[in-house]
Formats: sequence, C-alpha cells, structure tokens
Amino acid sequence: MSLKDESNPENLTPLSPAVFHILLSLAEGERHGYALKREIARRTRNKLQLGPGVLYGSINKMLELGLIEESDARPDPHLDDERRRYYRITPLGRKAARAEAARMRELVDLAAVRFGAPKHA
Amino acid sequence: MPDVPLPVRFYRKLIRLYPAGFRENYAEVMEREFRDELDESNGTHAMGRVWIRLLLDLAISVPTQLAREAAQDSRHALRLWIRCPWQTVFAVLALAIGIGANTGLFSVVNALLLRSLPFRDPSRLIVLHSFFAPHESPAQFHGWLRQSTYLADAALVEQGDVNLGGTGEWRRARVAQTTWNFFSLLGTQPVLGRAFAPGEDVAAPFVVGEPGTTGPDAVAVIGYGLWQELYAGDPRALGSIIRLNGWPLLIVGVAPPGFDYPGGAVLWKPARMSPGNNGWETVARLKPGISWAQASAHFEAEAERFWPNRRPIDRLRFPSVMTGLQDDLAGRARKASLVLLACVAAILLLACSNVANLLMARTADRAAELSIRSALGASRARLSQQLLTECVLLSLVSATAGSFVAYWTTAAAAKLQPAALATQVYSILDGRVLAFAIAASTASGLLFGLLPSWYAGRILTFGNRGSSYGRRARLIREALVAAQVAITIVLAAASLATSGAFLRLIRLDRGFNVNGVVSANVALEGTAHQTDAQQLAYLQQVLNQVRRLPGVRSASATESLPLYAIGSIGGRLRMDGRQATENSKVVYVMPDYFRTMGGQILRGREFTESDFQANTAVAVVSERFASEFGDVADAVGREISQGRSRWKVVGVVKGMDYMVQGAEDGHLVASANPNAAGLNQVFFPSRSPGEATIVARVNGRAADYLPMVRDAVRSIDPQVPVFGVKTMEQRVNDALARPQFYRTAVFCLAGVALLLVVIGIFGIVSYAVSRRTHEMGVRMALGSTPAVLRVNLLCQGLITIGLGAAAGVAGAALTGRFLESLVDGARFANPITYAVLVIFIAAIVAAAIWTATRPIARLDIVEIIRTE
Repeated sequence: MSLKDESNPENLTPLSPAVFHILLSLAEGERHGYALKREIARRTRNKLQLGPGVLYGSINKMLELGLIEESDARPDPHLDDERRRYYRITPLGRKAARAEAARMRELVDLAAVRFGAPKHA
Repeated sequence: MPDVPLPVRFYRKLIRLYPAGFRENYAEVMEREFRDELDESNGTHAMGRVWIRLLLDLAISVPTQLAREAAQDSRHALRLWIRCPWQTVFAVLALAIGIGANTGLFSVVNALLLRSLPFRDPSRLIVLHSFFAPHESPAQFHGWLRQSTYLADAALVEQGDVNLGGTGEWRRARVAQTTWNFFSLLGTQPVLGRAFAPGEDVAAPFVVGEPGTTGPDAVAVIGYGLWQELYAGDPRALGSIIRLNGWPLLIVGVAPPGFDYPGGAVLWKPARMSPGNNGWETVARLKPGISWAQASAHFEAEAERFWPNRRPIDRLRFPSVMTGLQDDLAGRARKASLVLLACVAAILLLACSNVANLLMARTADRAAELSIRSALGASRARLSQQLLTECVLLSLVSATAGSFVAYWTTAAAAKLQPAALATQVYSILDGRVLAFAIAASTASGLLFGLLPSWYAGRILTFGNRGSSYGRRARLIREALVAAQVAITIVLAAASLATSGAFLRLIRLDRGFNVNGVVSANVALEGTAHQTDAQQLAYLQQVLNQVRRLPGVRSASATESLPLYAIGSIGGRLRMDGRQATENSKVVYVMPDYFRTMGGQILRGREFTESDFQANTAVAVVSERFASEFGDVADAVGREISQGRSRWKVVGVVKGMDYMVQGAEDGHLVASANPNAAGLNQVFFPSRSPGEATIVARVNGRAADYLPMVRDAVRSIDPQVPVFGVKTMEQRVNDALARPQFYRTAVFCLAGVALLLVVIGIFGIVSYAVSRRTHEMGVRMALGSTPAVLRVNLLCQGLITIGLGAAAGVAGAALTGRFLESLVDGARFANPITYAVLVIFIAAIVAAAIWTATRPIARLDIVEIIRTE
C-alpha cells in the first residue's frame, strides 16, 4: 500500500515511459489498445513497442489510479470490432501528464546547462 | 474449435499464465490484438519477430501481474483476518502446532531411521541378539565366521564404563572391546594411525583388564573427541600410553570425528576373550546377494544350535533376533517417535479440516458479498484465487510460527530420547526435514483451501440457497466431524491409558524414601585401592568423612543402587536347605544402609559395624524371599545357603525397586511393574566394593548438599573419579522423565484434539443454523417451536457423533498395542472407563451443538417471512 496521496498528480511522477506515451496518445482522443500500441511505436520510431501484456498491465494500473477511464461510446460501431475496448484520458490523467512533462523539462533544462543545448529536437 | 488457428490457440494457453483478475479483463482484447498482429505479419521472419516480442512481453508482464494480484489478495486477506482476530489466532495456532510438531518429530524419525549410518553399505549391517557364536577364543570365533553361509563379516563387541587415566585426572568413560575386524567390518578408517590388526584380539583368563598383564591386545584406538580433549589434536598422541582401569594401552589410532559406536564409546581396544564371558554382542555384515529371509533362516537355525535346550522362559526373555543395525540403534525411540508422529499427523488433519470449516463458514458469510462481486464481473476463478492466496498466506504464517514448535519438539526429543550415535543428532536444519516441513505446510494449505474455494465456485454457479450441492457439502462436513470425533476418542483413550500407567509408576512403593538422600558413585579400578581390604578401608574412610559433614544424619554405601537393574542376579538361594522358586537379586551394602535409604526393616536388624569387623556370615532378606519359606516373622535366625556358603538371616526388609531398566542407551526407563519392590532380594555385607554408590541422608534440601558430599568423597583420594553426584529424587525423576513426557504429550494432544472438535462442530452448527434461518422460520410458522427445532438439530449432530465414536472406539482398540512403546504398562483395559470417556466427549460436543443452536430461540418469524 502506497503511503502517497495518489489524487495529487505530483505524487504520481515519474511516470513510466509506457504510461506517459499512453497519456500522450489519449490526449488526442479515445483510442483502443491496439491503436495506442501502433501510435506509440510510430511516435518512438519503433523504439518503444509495447507487447499486449505490458500494454494492458499499464492500462490496468492507470485505470486503478484514475488516470484514464474506459469509454462506452464507440466512434463508429460499423467500423470496429465490438470486442475492442476504448479508453479516454481523465482530468487527473491530464494533470499527471503535465506534471511529468514539467519534470522532464526541468531535466532537459538542467542537461542544457551542463552539456549545452541539443543540436536537434 | 477447428476455425481457430493454431498460433491463436497456443497464445490462449499462454494467456492462462496471467492471474485470474487480469485474464478476465484483458484476455479477450489481447487475443484480438494478437490476431491483428498475425494478419499484419507476412512471412516467416515477421512471424518470428512477433513471437519473440510476445514471449519477451510475457516474461516481463506475467510476474508483474502475478505479484500485483497476490499483493492485492494478501491485503484483502489481512483485512478479513483483522475483522475476526480470534478465528485467525485459532487457525494459526492450530496449524502451527500441527505443522511444527510434525516437523519436529519427523526430524527425529529422519535422524534415527532415514539418514543413513556413517558406515560402509549400512543397510547390510545387522546385530544378532541372544546369539552365542563360538566365542571362547579369537581363533574359534574367526574360524566359525569363515564358514558362515550368510555372513560376510562379523565382530564381537562388549561395552562398559571404565576409569580412564594416564593424562591428568582420572575419568569415567565408555569403552568397547572388539574383535580385531570391528573397524573393517563397519568400513571405518581411523583418521590417524591404524585400526586393529589380526592377532591383536587374544584369548585370556577371565579377568579382563587385569593390571600388569600386557599382550598384543594392549593397544587402543581413541575417539576423535578424546584425542582433541586429552592431546589437543597432537599427532604425537600415537605411541602414547593411556590407562584403562590402570592397565596401560598403547594408542595406535584415532577414530574419525563423530564415530562413537557402540553406545557413545570414546575408546576401543581389541577383545580379550574367555570361555566365561557371555556379554558379547555380535555385529555382522550380510553376504552380498543374500536376502533377509534367507539370512534369517540361517541365523535362526544357528541360534538354536548354539543354545540348545533353551527353557521356554529364556526363549521369551532372551529371544534370538536378527535386527538391522539402524533399527537396533533406534531401539525404543523408533516405535515411540512413529506413534507420536501418527498422533501429531492426526492433529494436523484435525486442524486442517477445522480451518477448512472455518474458511467455508466465512465464505458462506461472505456469500452475499461474493454474489455481488460476481455480478460485478468477478469470476469464480478470481474468487478461488483470492481464497487460495488467503490459504497460502495462512500456511506461511503458520509454518513460521510452527518452526518454533518444531525447534522445541526437537530439543525436547534430544533431551528425553537422545540418539544412539553422535551422527544421528536431531536437527530441523536438514534438507529432508525442510522438504517435509514445506510439503506439510503446502499439503495442509491445499487441504484446508480446496474445499472452501470449490465451495465459493459453487456459490457463484448455483446461487446461495438450496441445491443438491447443499446436501453433498453437508455430508462432507458431517464426515469431517465424525472423523474428528473418532481421532479425539483414539487420542483421549491413549491419554487415559498412558496417564494411568504413569500414575501407577509414581505411586509405586519403591521400598525406600526418595526424599533427603544424596548419592555419589565411585569406581576404584586402576586406583591405589585394589585389594578387597583396601577398597573397604577406602569406603569406610569416605563414609566417616561424609558422616562428619554438618546436616548429614547417616551415610552408607551399596554396590547396586535401587532404580538400576544392573548388578548381580544370584541363583535360586536355599533357606534351611529348601530352594527358592525364583532367582534373587543380590545386593551388597555397608552398615546403616536401610536407615540411610529410609527402607523398612520389618524384622530383626540391619548390618552393623561389628558385622564388618568380625566378618560374620550374615544376610538380610526381602519380605518376599522370606515369605517363600513360611511366616516372615520366623525368618530371622534361619540359615540361607548357596553351594557351600552359608549365612545367618539377621533381618527382613521390604524389598526395594530394582525393576527400572538400565536402559540400552544409558538412560533409565521406568517400568510399571507393580511387583517392582517385590522381587526376591538378598542383602549381604559389602566385601569388595570396586564400584559403589555412597548414599547420605541429610536434613533439609538434599540438592544443597551435593557439592559438599562430592568434595568430601574427593578429599579422601583425588585420584578416584567421583561421578553421578545426584539426589535420589533426581534419579527417580530421570527414570520417570521419558514416560512423563510421553504421557504429557499424549494428554496435550488429546486436549488439543477435543478443543479442535468443539470449535469445529460449533462452527459447523452455527453455520448450518445461519444458512437454514429461512427454513426454520417457515417451520415455526407451520407450528413448530424453537425447542423442537433445536432438539432436531441436536439429534442430527448426535448421529454424526455416534458414528464417529464407534469408529474412535474401534481405532482405540486397534492402536492400543502401540502405546506400550511410550509408557510401559500403558494399555486399554477397562471398558467402563472408555464408555465414560466416550459419553464425556459426546456430552461436550452435544453442549457445543446446543450452544450453537441458541440463535434459533431468538428467531423472529415475522422478520424472516417479511424478508422473503
């Protein structure tokens, strides 16, 4: 049992790369698991390829923490398989992602001071 | 499913590795995605990559999810436990006692029977009891051995206590004399020097260890411990002289560490054989390839040949048996530990079935919660997993608590029933014992976990009320209760039998007053006191010194102290020419012996100083001996004789208890022979007290005098080893320690069993009542009264108890004969006692049922009917 207050987004950071990427993807709209996976792979140029176990393990944890929730509405039932499950980001999820981004920015800023600004973003 | 492709079917199997909760939520979508992946990958390479990624994913995520759900379930279980702490404490205690006691006793069984002996091919080693192979000379013995059809090798061994000296202080030590091939027979190599060589065992006149004689047998192999102690492990010990009862022996070898066979020996010397000595034990190795049955047949035929025309009584008292060395060393402890192991295994079973009942009742209490959760999507598998986690946790906690019980059990066993060899030390830190402990905990976890988790599954499948399942579950529970009652009755009956035998042991009239007597042993072999006169003079001096101590009322000495069945058995003595019907125990004593021991002089007097000074031929006889020849009152003044020797009877005394067995492993074993003090006994004045026990009656607490008496004895000659400095009370307690322990153990086990049954049946009935509230309400609405309903339930319970009791009584009758191995004289005797016992247990259980049905009296019909 964690002693941290998990409703405070600051306490949830650092987020694991998988969790952060899932939040990033869901920020654009509802997605099902497979779509998340493909989008993350594309965004990271295949450096982060989430297997189903890790993906749904992360989703399970995020659901419990209240970072995301399952969505009942299907974008278009004709286009999609009934068995897919869709997820959307919650307000807490947004806050957590922002907190994580801020944490990363601090790190990037510090790295820039120490090593100089990166050549390309 | 023919339309499902093979990879998908395989992936489904892999998904089963995930815990139930995760599987329920995501198995379907994971499979869906796997299908997508398959559709998108073309070619073998792509497929290969998919599979590799998948397996890596499984390797990472399965343990994570398992740990996650286990933690969740554990938290859930802990919350449940905290909600009903007494149930939890009961379950943990019951299981801890069960698992711990089983593990502790298994460590004893493991050390005695399973761990192999530290000898070469130990399973072929045997001991031949009451077997008199030719043993007048080494040539005769080795000649017989060469012609043996079933023995590959054999050695004669005789053990005894001696005075060991030559380096510093004299000490008492256990030594063995053996034929030269003893070490090679066992396959034991000395760590230093050599074992005995052929020809070192010799034929000699009867007196063993006669000072001043040297021969090829004047060599010794010493034990590793003695080597470290006396010579600090110096190899120059080889070639040194060590004195055994004053007789010089050349040390030629050092035995390996831990080697102390037989009987904890610390020194071995070659045998000195003579026609008169029948005290040899035969240790042998069976020929390779010969079966036990064949060897037995040969042995029995030979045993008959070597002891022809044996009297039936001798056949009974000294049966010729061939025993495996391991079983022989385990001796009485073998059966005792197996019997106790069976008892504690029964307790563990009781504990398991009770915890199962407890969990089941709790599951039923939670039926509503489970139904709701199941409606919310929790599956049977998920709930079963949760219950199983609870059980595994319960097992783990209990096993940890049980390890303390195991440690204590092992320590108690080591104290009360030490193993025959140093290498057989009892330990729970042994691979086999640990494996047993793990197996016992796991097995009990499964035993008490399976039923409730199966039941939880049924609740979800069939709902929470009425079904054929309900009847079956009730049958199972009733069978469990009946089994518990049966086991309790067997244990309670055993407890009654051992307690009865033990009470007879303590109440036994020992013929002397145990309180206020100090005792100390001296042994004069090898010291400056060699002749009879010197020994008597020494003893007189010691007694005078002890008598001068403040608080000592009287002091005396004897060559054989009561409680020890050692010493000489004289033949059938005659009185006035007529022979007694039985052998007599012959006891040599000093003046004032009966006064000091608190014995009862019935007629005449005991020996006085003047009997010793005048060297008169006098004797004191026991009441029993005297009564063989008419009125006890007339015995004084008559003459007893044996051969040409004659003695005048000067007194008749109550006999003393010499029946305690001078046990095989050096520990006393009390025997509950009611005639213990009634054995024919004849007392003579001590003439050559080479080994004697000094006894002193003191004012106040005897234990306070121990150091004083020891120092007084030592002050006469510091060279004489003084040992066994104990009060008589301590000696009696030593003799009773083992039966007392077994009796207490069995009593406690029976108590625990009864408690378990009461708690178990209370739980079951309460549970039945709570489940049948509706039915009861309907019955009451139809005109029944609460009292009638309660009586009905009680009757149902009594049928179960009756069946259990019948099985228990049968079981008690069947197991009765094993109890003798725990406490001598323990047996099931009196049917009325057992009837009372059964009624007592049934009454307690009935009371538990009656109490559990109390809620029926408080039922409110209106309330029940309205909730429908």
